[in-house]
Amino acid sequence: MNLLYKSYYFTSYQCDRSRCFYIDFGHKQVKFSFCQLLAMRQKVQRIDISSHFDKDLNYNGIEVITLCNREHLFVFDTLQVIDLKELLRSTFGILELNSLVSH
Amino acid sequence: MKDIVRQKIGINVDVMDLLNEQISKEAHSAAIYLAMASWCDHNGLTNSAEFFYKQSAEEREHMLRIFKFINDNGGTAYSPEVSNINHEYSSLQEIFETALDQEIEISKSIHNIVSRCRKVQDFGSENFLQWFVQEQMEEENQFRRILEMFDLMGTDGIALKFIDERIKHD
Repeated sequence: MNLLYKSYYFTSYQCDRSRCFYIDFGHKQVKFSFCQLLAMRQKVQRIDISSHFDKDLNYNGIEVITLCNREHLFVFDTLQVIDLKELLRSTFGILELNSLVSH
Repeated sequence: MKDIVRQKIGINVDVMDLLNEQISKEAHSAAIYLAMASWCDHNGLTNSAEFFYKQSAEEREHMLRIFKFINDNGGTAYSPEVSNINHEYSSLQEIFETALDQEIEISKSIHNIVSRCRKVQDFGSENFLQWFVQEQMEEENQFRRILEMFDLMGTDGIALKFIDERIKHD
């Protein structure tokens, strides 16, 4: 597997053989098709991080996210959400860079 | 490392994001025109109402065209949420001015995506969007012609009725 990006809490990989992606969440590794990775990216991008600093909007400062058509359920705190945003932004950046050098 | 992304998706991921935003904008336009149709219906302006019903359907068609394009090319299109639709207008002229402003915003948004396509060399999406560039020019012109009628005929009583009678959807 090829390492794509390692953030503070999480790591993303690409597997050429299965043509899939993996994210290591620390306690668990999840396999993603590209479509599922796009869906996760959309969900994480839509999280309003400023609401975590407003007790009326997000009292506990947590996000509950389901992944891969509800196959997995994760609860992330504020720092993990910030880290996840960075992981996905950078992972897609690396993938774009790979597309540029591959052709 | 294999370029799996390119194997899975035929369009640039950032362009896909912008196209998804465009889906929301087209859906928002469709809803705005429906609200305008309702206002016209309630104020006895039947031709204008019919015009906006058709205009709303056309915006939805635009939305679906982009929606299908994203999915056909391996991306993921997201069904949009629509909110904040104004139903209060003071006159038919205000409605057509608002509609023209709405079309201009849509044109700007399309141009922005075309510009992004060129930057990232996504020629497929750029080619797809050329139809929208042409369509927006026609839509804007349609509203300009209607607003010219207000300039020529005024907005008092019978003039308003004459204008309504002359409003037809192309």
